[in-house]
Amino acid sequence: MTRLDPSSLLPLPQAQFHVLVALTEGERHGYAIMQAVESSSDGNVRMGPATLYGTLKRLVDRGLAEELVGRPVADDDQRRRYYRLTGLGQQVCAAEAERLARLVRITRSNLRPGMA
Amino acid sequence: MAARHPVYRSLVRLYPKAFRGHYGDDLVAHFADLVNDRGASAAWARTGVDLIVTVPRYRLEHFMTEQHSATTLNVAITLLAAGGVLSVLMGVYPGVLLLVAALVLAVAERSTIARAIRTPDSNRRRRRLGIAAVLALIFLASIGSYAQDLNDDHISGASLLVHNAIGVPAMVGAIIFLIVGLCTPKGSDNRPVAPVVS
Repeated sequence: MTRLDPSSLLPLPQAQFHVLVALTEGERHGYAIMQAVESSSDGNVRMGPATLYGTLKRLVDRGLAEELVGRPVADDDQRRRYYRLTGLGQQVCAAEAERLARLVRITRSNLRPGMA
Repeated sequence: MAARHPVYRSLVRLYPKAFRGHYGDDLVAHFADLVNDRGASAAWARTGVDLIVTVPRYRLEHFMTEQHSATTLNVAITLLAAGGVLSVLMGVYPGVLLLVAALVLAVAERSTIARAIRTPDSNRRRRRLGIAAVLALIFLASIGSYAQDLNDDHISGASLLVHNAIGVPAMVGAIIFLIVGLCTPKGSDNRPVAPVVS
């Protein structure tokens, strides 16, 4: 049996990482993902509809996210398509977060003497 | 809800069929949600930029899929061969080189090389286009020097040798690498994933 190495998919494009982070909170439909991305980036990342669905398509194609067959909320709009992270998506998201955290640590460490 | 936004719905038709077939209704519903939440002008401001950026991008990506690359390769081979035959018929014998390029590509297309050409890989695509650019520069330098000699009415043996031995092969190589590079789909969606045996 073979499985994919999450680190081989890094670094993730910014839009893909933002969407994955939005999906770490649970299943969401497209519009809710866009709102979550705006919220998590303090409004700095604003995705248009096609950018968002193009990003979702890439994530689904790469096996990082998947469409839900059913609806997690019974009375929600039946036309909405919901998405969630796959196991690989969770691993890749965690690996990307760790990669960025390492960069932040290095940056802080390098800049500290000059900032003091 | 979506029926209230016929303009945006018609603009969605600009996307490739496969994309709009799968996401067309979601795009319109998303736009309708934006209009409801933030007003029409804010929705259009965001969606207008989105359309300008994503329509050409998704069209190009769709064009560079494996299937389209095969079509591009076949068209290129046909054009090169036709150009070569026409040149020879008109007495421009260096046109034989176009036939050689067509033959090389045709052989490549029917062999395992074709799979390598069509495998989505952004790095290889960049490398192949880069090689084409370098070869084109070598050819231009060679032709420039040759033209200078022609202008001076004195073509030295060395200049002729450089032109025929380096410049002309560089031109053929540039054409081949340009076509092969353009036929290599970008690999952003299908980046090779190293398997880990467990």
